[in-house]
Amino acid sequence: MNFKIRAASKEDCKDISRMIMELAVYEKMPDQVKISHEELQRDGFCQNPFFQCLVAEVPEEQKSKEGCTVVGYALYFYTYSTWKGPTVFLEDLYVMPEFRGKGIGKGLLSKVAEVAKKKKQCVHLHLSVLDWNTPSRDFYAAKGAQDLTVTEGIHVLRFDGQNLDNLANEAPKD
Amino acid sequence: MDYKLRKAEPKDVSDILRLVKELAKYEEMEHQVTLTEKELLEDGFGDTPFYHCVIAETQGESSRDDPRVVGFAMYYFTYDPWVGKQLYLEEFYVMDECRGLGIGSEILRHLSDLAMKTRCTGMMFVVAENNEPSLQFYKRRGAEDLSQEEGWRLFRFDKDSLVKMATPAEE
Repeated sequence: MNFKIRAASKEDCKDISRMIMELAVYEKMPDQVKISHEELQRDGFCQNPFFQCLVAEVPEEQKSKEGCTVVGYALYFYTYSTWKGPTVFLEDLYVMPEFRGKGIGKGLLSKVAEVAKKKKQCVHLHLSVLDWNTPSRDFYAAKGAQDLTVTEGIHVLRFDGQNLDNLANEAPKD
Repeated sequence: MDYKLRKAEPKDVSDILRLVKELAKYEEMEHQVTLTEKELLEDGFGDTPFYHCVIAETQGESSRDDPRVVGFAMYYFTYDPWVGKQLYLEEFYVMDECRGLGIGSEILRHLSDLAMKTRCTGMMFVVAENNEPSLQFYKRRGAEDLSQEEGWRLFRFDKDSLVKMATPAEE
């Protein structure tokens, strides 16, 4: 199968949005997707974008059943480690089911690693995976990723919605 | 003890590094801090900063004493494709001798306020599960443990693995 990995453009946002939803469905949390392709466009293609995106594209003659030629994406951004300096966080990596097993996922991951090393000399690449998602956990482990939740007991926490609001409005007593 | 919160300036990098090392020591990982003051300066105060920092500074006992940097929080903006901009709290520390005075709570309140003002829908961070005091501090204030509640695990590729992956494949 021929495929090309390239930087996403504004015009790709509808396809990226479609695949974000497909990934959310796979992760069993589709009701958590609240933003549209317009917001994605605004946040990713402004002067100081909040994320970077790569897409995987196949030629017209190999398009999907629904007629899509953009069949995978990787969404990432730069983060910072006070121990080591610039790092990359791979927020989303997805390939449409009918295009799996052809090296597209590996291609996207390698490209992100290449950009991380060349552009910003990043020393670490982080990502999160759901505990039941064995295919993904195995994919990353095979490439050398360490599960920090297991090895270091790291938990991911979040304040959002009303809790974030409350926190902003008061200083609770310890 | 009087203290004030302010945005970090280039002159603060040596204090920031000092506090980073103190926190790393608390987490029993001091040997892992390889960042230098020079790198902190370039990365935080150049054209496109990788991070932002808020500092907690106390005034000395008398007006002759120099102010002391006793706490800090380092943060940057990340993106959740489901809900948009997030404020990511990378590092958050108050010196041992200055705890229990509300400095930590005030830093957290300041950051939450900043998150709301900059259109972030959430504030995210990681905590080691054996760090009970920190876990309780955050959970008391309404933080959700996504690792526990939704099963998210954090993975890392280190430098060697990154280099291997970045080399173009033969296929």
